[in-house]
Amino acid sequence: MTETTAVPAPRAVPADTGPTDGGGPSPTPTPALLTPGEAARALTDAPVRLTRGFLGLDPVTRNTALLARQITDREIRVTRYDRALLGYTVNPLQPRQVMVATTSTDPAPLEALLDFLAVYQRATSFVAEVPDGSPVLTALEGCGFIPGGILRGHLFHTGRYRDVLVLHTDREG
Amino acid sequence: MTTATTTHATPAAGAPGGPRLRGYRAGDLPLLTGSWLPGELLGLPVPGRPPLADPATVPPPASDRPGDELYVLPGTAFVRFTEVDWIHRRARLETGFAPGADAHVRALLDAALGHARGTLGLRRVYGWVTPGRPGAEDVLRAVGLAREARIPHALWLDGRPVGRQIWGMCSDD
Repeated sequence: MTETTAVPAPRAVPADTGPTDGGGPSPTPTPALLTPGEAARALTDAPVRLTRGFLGLDPVTRNTALLARQITDREIRVTRYDRALLGYTVNPLQPRQVMVATTSTDPAPLEALLDFLAVYQRATSFVAEVPDGSPVLTALEGCGFIPGGILRGHLFHTGRYRDVLVLHTDREG
Repeated sequence: MTTATTTHATPAAGAPGGPRLRGYRAGDLPLLTGSWLPGELLGLPVPGRPPLADPATVPPPASDRPGDELYVLPGTAFVRFTEVDWIHRRARLETGFAPGADAHVRALLDAALGHARGTLGLRRVYGWVTPGRPGAEDVLRAVGLAREARIPHALWLDGRPVGRQIWGMCSDD
């Protein structure tokens, strides 16, 4: 239950992903798929401003056991890529569409994930939801995500309801 | 496998004498399968579906899946609140109507939204809408819902991916 499974290296791994959240660059980042328990702990330990709304999860109001259950139930995959956490879950009604998330403000790790999903999952459409004002928005925009709409009052955060932005991008298969 | 849930008899919001939702019972199982689109907010039967196309279905309540609230208008339709989040006070709404139940659409949506606000205490209700059904948007607007986002390629339908929309509403506290 606690083993870490290495995933195939993405097709276009950048040589230098740059600092993601205050950490130094890693010369050869190796993606590592986390178990649900490991993913829950990693999300809990990461900075809140980067993880709230990560694939609809909320590490602030959920303990690690509940997070792990939600990750399992929704078939979410979480990968550690250098210091960033990347997540995705396939749309069960359209297997070529994947919802993705990142904790990095740098687009490079997310770009590597999109390349991996395009090659190994044959994904052609990607969707992301991030709280309004989230710092990871820069990473999504850097990967070509464009706005698809705003979910009004979707997230309760620090005393008030906040909007969530819906973004999407397509890659030809 | 099929278990009865707590029965909540609910008068339609603002419509004395309107339809009354009640909790799902095992005898309501046939209502949970039909020719509507999966996960649809306005789950009306889709004419012209291929005979071999899988019917849409929603699972009956189960003890290991406590996050769903399932109600029925006996013999007519079901109302399902799923992805219920009691902290962010939101839920995704989906419905499914039996053939010939079109006349109950407006009243049932009113009852469902009233139940979400008044009984469940939810602030936000949202759901998936697949565009293309004449008159559907008028009904959704009439009950207070608004289109919030468009997501391309979100559903595999009739041999190709089609876009879907997210409609939602927030109640003022």
